[in-house]
Amino acid sequence: MAAIRRSVLDIFPDLDPALVTEDRSLQELGCNSVDRVDVVAMTMEDLGVSVAASDFRGVRNIGALATLLRRHA
Amino acid sequence: MTVVVVTGTGVVCSIAADLVEFATALRAGNCGINSRPDMVSDPMRPWLAADLPEWNFARRLTESASSSALHPAVPEIARRAAGRAPVGVQMSVVVAMQAWAQARLAVHPVDPERVAVIVAGHNLNGSSAAIAAERHARSPVHLSPRYALQFMDTDHVATVSEVLGVRGEGCTVGGASASGNVAIVHACRMIAADAADACLVIGAMSDLSAAERQAFYNLGVMAGAVSRSDPLRRCRPFDVKREGFVPGAGAACLVLESAASAARRGVEALARIAGSAIGLDGNSLADPTVAGEVSVMRRALARARLRPGQVDYVNAHATASVLGDVVELAALDEVFGADGRPWLNSTKGLTGHCLSAAGLVEAVATVVQLREGFVHPNRNLEEPLASRCRLTGSSAVPARLRVAVSNGFGFGGFNSSVVFTDAA
Repeated sequence: MAAIRRSVLDIFPDLDPALVTEDRSLQELGCNSVDRVDVVAMTMEDLGVSVAASDFRGVRNIGALATLLRRHA
Repeated sequence: MTVVVVTGTGVVCSIAADLVEFATALRAGNCGINSRPDMVSDPMRPWLAADLPEWNFARRLTESASSSALHPAVPEIARRAAGRAPVGVQMSVVVAMQAWAQARLAVHPVDPERVAVIVAGHNLNGSSAAIAAERHARSPVHLSPRYALQFMDTDHVATVSEVLGVRGEGCTVGGASASGNVAIVHACRMIAADAADACLVIGAMSDLSAAERQAFYNLGVMAGAVSRSDPLRRCRPFDVKREGFVPGAGAACLVLESAASAARRGVEALARIAGSAIGLDGNSLADPTVAGEVSVMRRALARARLRPGQVDYVNAHATASVLGDVVELAALDEVFGADGRPWLNSTKGLTGHCLSAAGLVEAVATVVQLREGFVHPNRNLEEPLASRCRLTGSSAVPARLRVAVSNGFGFGGFNSSVVFTDAA
């Protein structure tokens, strides 16, 4: 979660970090289609993990994204 | 025949952050060339460049937020659309905003579907491409997905259209170092064909990669091989001791518009595009020809219904390359012959060679000199090559200018010439 928060704040420096919660989606935070894949790539790099793009299908919120990334850590 | 006028201008380069600074810098003959510290000691590497002294996109947007000539939402849309974009795209956005404001397009709008965007240039993102290639080699999966949008030159067109709400035609237009003039010509045609009432023509920054820079240097066309001191004296257009060009970082924009549209909006025309021509040499090398350059200047003047003797000023292509300058002077002598002695200078001696953007940077320089009545200095012109034209020296010359020609020539035999006249 901390890594995802860092990536989101990298894109939106003015965002309140407390808004990055497991139940919210990146879209709800204002991320457009490119921002979303960028957040994922930045977070993967931050954590040193590699996840195939197809595995992200079905990920609907930040909590699910964190779970998926944790599984590949 | 549709009359096309200039109603807005914008510029960012090594000697100026906006139009007002640009006019002052031109008059003073300021030069933005400096040395790249990491390169000076290696005689095999290009060490000269006219880079921007600084670039802070967020600050530029904050400054523009106070402008009543822009829609209040524009700075925030720009931050959102281009805050993470490469510097070149950010510069395109800033010069477009400047020109948009001067053309009063926010206050007296044109139907968004009747506004077009043409970005002059190609292969604009060499530096970003090199960074992406390195990242990709290290770890493919972590390459930024954003790069899929950013590697395309059309990202400049798209981002500007988002920031200013443009809904008309959009494209990039290329012609090597003549790209700027080639784009101006195509914008005029778009307006003459009634496909648009107004067109933003943006000369985008050529963000050269280290390899691209080195290739120019290895080709022997870049300054800096003769001496590795005094960076401000290395770029010497028209001088017997010229060494080659110095690459410059710059972007510039013209708003071109039909005279009818400008009149409808009650907006002042800054200058008029009276004629233009493009021609190829039928030659893929870096070898300019007198015949090709003469041909475009003559055709541009003929289309403007002007005689060579009526030309007051020529903004030369003049990169300070050993071959290019002497060929251009021979072409000018042939065009003007006994019929006129126009003033002649090279803006590249001040800004460096802005490559893709050069034609637009020089178009803005031409409009500034027409309007303010001066011819800017030729930097480092100590021993001039023979010419029938009147070359300025180290100071600006006050001059009443009515007709100006701006040349642009590119590797691969791209010749172009545009005739500007005062708005009257």
